[in-house]
Amino acid sequence: MDLFGSFALLLAFLCGLYAFGAGIAAIATRKPLLIKSARNAGMAVCVLIWLGFGSLAYLFFTDNFSMAYVVEHSNRTLPAFFKFAAIWSGQQGSLLFWSFLLSIYVFSALFAYRGKHPELMPYVGVVCAGVQLFFLTLNNFIASPFQVLGAAGATGTLQWIARADGNGLNPLLQYTEMVIHPPILYSGYTGFTIPFAFALGALLGRYPGEKWIHLTRRWTMIAWGFQGVGILLGAHWAYAVLGWGGYWMWDPVENASLMPWLTATAFLHSVMMQEKRGMMRVWNVWLVFTTFLLTIFGTFLTRSGVVNSVHAFAQSTIGPWFLGFIGLTLLVCIVAYWRNRDYLRSDNNLDSLVSRESSFLFNNLILLVACIAVISGTLFPVLSEWIRGTKISVGAPFFNKVNLPIGLFLLFLTGIGPLLAWRKTSMSSLRRNFGGPMLIGLVAGVVGIVLGLRNFYVTVCLILSVFVTLTILLEFYRGARVIAARTGSNLFSSVAQLTMRNTRRYGGYIVHFGIVLIFLGISGTAFNQDKQMEMPAGAEMQIGPYHLTNQDFDSTQEPNYLTERATIAVDRGGRQVIMLYPERRFYPANAESGTMVAIYSTLKEDLYVVYAGRSPETQKPVIHAYLNPLVKWIWLGGAIVALGTLLALVPSRQPVLAIRAVEVAPAGTVAVPARIPPRKDDGYGGHD
Amino acid sequence: MIRSLIRSWTPPSTQSPPRRARWTALRRGLRRFAPVFALAVAVALSTGMLQGQSSDRAKTLGGKLICMCGCNEILTQCNHVGCKVSGAMLQEMDQRVSAGDSDDLILQSFVQEYGTQVMAEPPTHGFNGLAWAIPIMAFAMGLGLVITVIHHWRQRVVMAPAAGASVSPEMMARARREIDRQTDD
Repeated sequence: MDLFGSFALLLAFLCGLYAFGAGIAAIATRKPLLIKSARNAGMAVCVLIWLGFGSLAYLFFTDNFSMAYVVEHSNRTLPAFFKFAAIWSGQQGSLLFWSFLLSIYVFSALFAYRGKHPELMPYVGVVCAGVQLFFLTLNNFIASPFQVLGAAGATGTLQWIARADGNGLNPLLQYTEMVIHPPILYSGYTGFTIPFAFALGALLGRYPGEKWIHLTRRWTMIAWGFQGVGILLGAHWAYAVLGWGGYWMWDPVENASLMPWLTATAFLHSVMMQEKRGMMRVWNVWLVFTTFLLTIFGTFLTRSGVVNSVHAFAQSTIGPWFLGFIGLTLLVCIVAYWRNRDYLRSDNNLDSLVSRESSFLFNNLILLVACIAVISGTLFPVLSEWIRGTKISVGAPFFNKVNLPIGLFLLFLTGIGPLLAWRKTSMSSLRRNFGGPMLIGLVAGVVGIVLGLRNFYVTVCLILSVFVTLTILLEFYRGARVIAARTGSNLFSSVAQLTMRNTRRYGGYIVHFGIVLIFLGISGTAFNQDKQMEMPAGAEMQIGPYHLTNQDFDSTQEPNYLTERATIAVDRGGRQVIMLYPERRFYPANAESGTMVAIYSTLKEDLYVVYAGRSPETQKPVIHAYLNPLVKWIWLGGAIVALGTLLALVPSRQPVLAIRAVEVAPAGTVAVPARIPPRKDDGYGGHD
Repeated sequence: MIRSLIRSWTPPSTQSPPRRARWTALRRGLRRFAPVFALAVAVALSTGMLQGQSSDRAKTLGGKLICMCGCNEILTQCNHVGCKVSGAMLQEMDQRVSAGDSDDLILQSFVQEYGTQVMAEPPTHGFNGLAWAIPIMAFAMGLGLVITVIHHWRQRVVMAPAAGASVSPEMMARARREIDRQTDD
């Protein structure tokens, strides 16, 4: 099976070379047979990568310890669930997993548009094949997961050997979320290849109009959704596993996942200007290019060892390959843009400063500044060491200080954007729409201050959150009221109808509401408390309203690890609310330990209890308890963002205007049709 | 403050003369011991405050430093059990805070001991101040660009003459489609 996987990947590489070359030839000659051949080769590449990935999975599940990669990341007692996660836990396997997910996207795109868009698809195929070739080069020649263990035999010849057992999986990864977090995040990273391929293909082929935008909109939203959910799952994993009481520490690898998400968010907004007004074509193309380049750059950061991170893979020599690919891709993008820049000229002009267009411009500006702040902060230690020779740290306090005002300004724009009309908004309309929500937001701020809120940023966040929520509710209410008046249905049914008529718009509002909840959740950080103390059996601790009593300690042996566990009774107001069991696990296979945090989560706050181990001096167990307000709102907000994204992906239902039929048309009049058929699609994909 | 409180306090006028005399004596006695009492309260309060400040200050200052064990985490957030490095750093922090050293002095002593890498934030001056300047410069440049783009777009608006050739039905239909497209969201 090891040979099968190797051959599958090698064949995929050769097929990729053919798909790339034949694709270029097909573009030059326009021969239909060659176009078809290149496309089929592209699809064959994908199938072969699936076979390669499948064979690696088989090697893990059959405990084939003659494979170096399996030995390094698995062992016999590892549960099957985690054997699956072990596939991508190392450098080589994760690169193959990248190729695997990318191949699903590429196959889907090639299959979905087979026989369609003959002027565009050959370019898309070539770009996809180019990207796949890069990763297949790594999979085959630089970081192959199919390397076997060898040793010099008695006759001096190299012989294959097999180990009795493996080293096991990193304990930090032996957590349920780790089985789903990387696939979802990687689905985001790899998914941005499709809009990139379409954007570059459309530019190279000077594909007319905004059609490539419509073709790739859903792909972009899928990738964006995966990336966002992946980031949040990563944050939740860090919160539940790393045991430091937080969910985001501005680690370089965390930042690497955030950067493309920020530019993709900017793209999802500015793309509407291109769709509606034919504006910002250059900007959108470069946003797509930048997003793709940032996904590769993020991978480079994770794998090159250029920055220190708890999430990074072991330092390797793979970095220059990524840098080379980024440089080459950037060069192709610049040349393609320079040669075809007249194709990207805008159709329309800006009519007014107070318009939806302006708000998108500012939204893009702020998102880009946030992205630049994250990139510069992440890379500055490297730059400083390179230029000045001194090491400096750029940690969470820097990122918080810089990104807090940026985030709040973005939240403000989230509120005013929907209030502004396309082209021009009159000041009276702005006052009418803006006044109420802002006034209520300010009242909420004042109430907060009266109730003891003394943090400037939190107060501003509260005001803006109320403001944005109200603007969203108003948008739903106004639309639903019109439908209710026309159809006579109740308000809730009208809201449902309204949402389904324009899923993209109202799905977007739901996403905005999810973002508001996330902001509120983050603002709770300002009121975090923590307490650490030695707690032998019977010891007590008070944190916030909770009274913790350590009832017992036990130690058990599981097949894959040894565990020490505290049994903590949690009382509130004299009444027991829950029993918590924080654990510390020791994995003999790799002689590493891991934390299992116990969390009592409510909408108001999380009681987060870590069994921090035994004190080196007294050997007594140490319990570190945190009281983290509003954390649940972050996960809730994330779920709402995911729901909103899913809704936005659903095709909109075309409104059918029912007009009461005139049963008997009087003489000399024209009979009114019973029904007006829905407006035909004008090539812009309807309202969605 | 205590003196003024005592001074302002007067017993009810309905009290009998001997009781009033007792109150006067008590007031005199309190007045005499007031400075001593105030000092005792102040010392008690300040001791309590210093103790509170000590741990709060140590925590705040610890949040400005990086644990040098290699975890790359904030000093007060290092989650390594029995981490000797963070333990020693926090102990040193407590000692310096208890000794009454100023924030700057404490942070500088850590920089001298561990290098500039120990600070969680880059300095605001010199070359490393660029880390702070980059986001601000990016915002300023971006804002300038947005203003320029808006200005450019607004200048390109060409006013059409009010009276001109009649609009054909096809043009009207196209215009309607365009309006629909531009205003449906």
